Amino acid sequence: MMNTPQQVKNPSSSLKSRFITRFLGALTKINAEDPISSPSPTRIFQRYRRIKVASNKSMAYSVRSRRIWSRAMLSRFRSRRSAFSGRRSSVKTTNCTTINVTINENKTAKGGLDMQTDELRELVPGGEAMDVCNLLDETAHYIKCLTTQVQVMRKIVDFCHLSK
Amino acid sequence: MESNAGTTETRSNVTVPDGGEVAAFESLQFTDEIHRLISAPGTDNASSFTALLELPATQVVELLHSPESVKLIVASAPNVEDFKGSFHFPSNTGLIQKDARFSVFSGEGNNKNEKSNSPEMTSKNSSANLEKAVKSEPAETVSSLPLVSDPTMENRNIKRKDREKKVKGSTKKSKTATNERLEDAEKLPYVHVRARRGQATDSHSLAERARREKINARMKLLQELVPGCNKISGTALVLDEIINHVQSLQRQVEFLSMRLATVNPRIDFNLDSLFTPESGSTMDGGNFPSLVTPLIWPDVQVNGYRQQFQHQWHFDTLKQPIWGREEVCNNYVTLENSLLSCDSSANSATLHANQLKMEL
Repeated sequence: MMNTPQQVKNPSSSLKSRFITRFLGALTKINAEDPISSPSPTRIFQRYRRIKVASNKSMAYSVRSRRIWSRAMLSRFRSRRSAFSGRRSSVKTTNCTTINVTINENKTAKGGLDMQTDELRELVPGGEAMDVCNLLDETAHYIKCLTTQVQVMRKIVDFCHLSK
Repeated sequence: MESNAGTTETRSNVTVPDGGEVAAFESLQFTDEIHRLISAPGTDNASSFTALLELPATQVVELLHSPESVKLIVASAPNVEDFKGSFHFPSNTGLIQKDARFSVFSGEGNNKNEKSNSPEMTSKNSSANLEKAVKSEPAETVSSLPLVSDPTMENRNIKRKDREKKVKGSTKKSKTATNERLEDAEKLPYVHVRARRGQATDSHSLAERARREKINARMKLLQELVPGCNKISGTALVLDEIINHVQSLQRQVEFLSMRLATVNPRIDFNLDSLFTPESGSTMDGGNFPSLVTPLIWPDVQVNGYRQQFQHQWHFDTLKQPIWGREEVCNNYVTLENSLLSCDSSANSATLHANQLKMEL
């Protein structure tokens, strides 16, 4: 359903193409700012963090304010940027910190659904303030956008590897 | 009887929005009225019936125009039994009266038309016995009521079929009916959900049921999105799968961004050697903005790009130009513009691939 860019009336303004332009622009910017070949792990880690943020940010900007999760993500970026400029503290990454700590006790039947919905709320940005109905909606759209993101990034990585 | 009818009129006027509890109440009221009518001394059935008919006679016309008023019957099981058991004949008129009033005061003609289709279609699937039982009762009434017009009989048949459907209470049919109605109902200001057999009809549980059905619909959509989720039954396991899928997607994004971080510096280095203004005929340095066709980036073309890449790469490494950083940055902007406008022909495929290389 999402893979047809012609779904929108103007094909060049599909979610995928918007994300592609933004992300590639961010990548060129990152490559321009960084010194060319610095194989030290810290530099690579910094680049990795920047690229990840750029990827999520490009996707959130491509969705604009049409979704609760994109609005939450964008506000998180803006607040983080203002906090970061004030002090150089380690900022919390948007996605990954809670992944390692999930305890799967999902065997209970009906009352255990609360556990899953809580987990889902942690995964989807802005999920804490949503009721279950909206949460499921947002999850569906978020999954769609994440798959687009992964697809595009994989293609870019393939291109890069080919030209080595 | 007029005064009673009047009071029930006002009652239905006020409480049409949450039809569940009120309709049950009203059906009780009508049984009382009918009791009174039938036990009235000195009046035989015919005259009482004509007295009954006077009211519906005026509103039979409305019934003719709005057969969909049938749909607002909310008959929980005990009331239906009452009607069926004792009063075959008067119950019809009682229902006609009630329906007429609902049709007058509810004011949702079009939507009910849509809704009326599904129960009628599903009622056709009901068992043959019940159909016969349905038809035998109106047959009796026809013989004793020469004054009744045919459309009224049709309406009674429809209503009776619906009541039979309710009595049978097959959850599958009512589920489809309520699902369809729910989709319509989401556009309406009030949610009209019919109560199923053996379930409570107060507004709280109705709203709760509507909410649950919404959630189930969205869960189905999610099941389609997440691969391998269709076979799993049970909400908890499906949610587990969804959570795993989201986590895996997020991890993939991180992994790919790590790969981009490690791969990129070398690309930059190679790009400097590759990017030349006077390189081969396929790479038109100055003609980037001329392409105006929209971007299509299908998977099939990737392989084509790869071949073009390799050819271009071998060709370009022969030349070793020196590139200033400013020129590269300027070209990136034009490259982005033409990235969107790349078409799928062979020439611009190489162009596209080269643009990607240059950008990275």
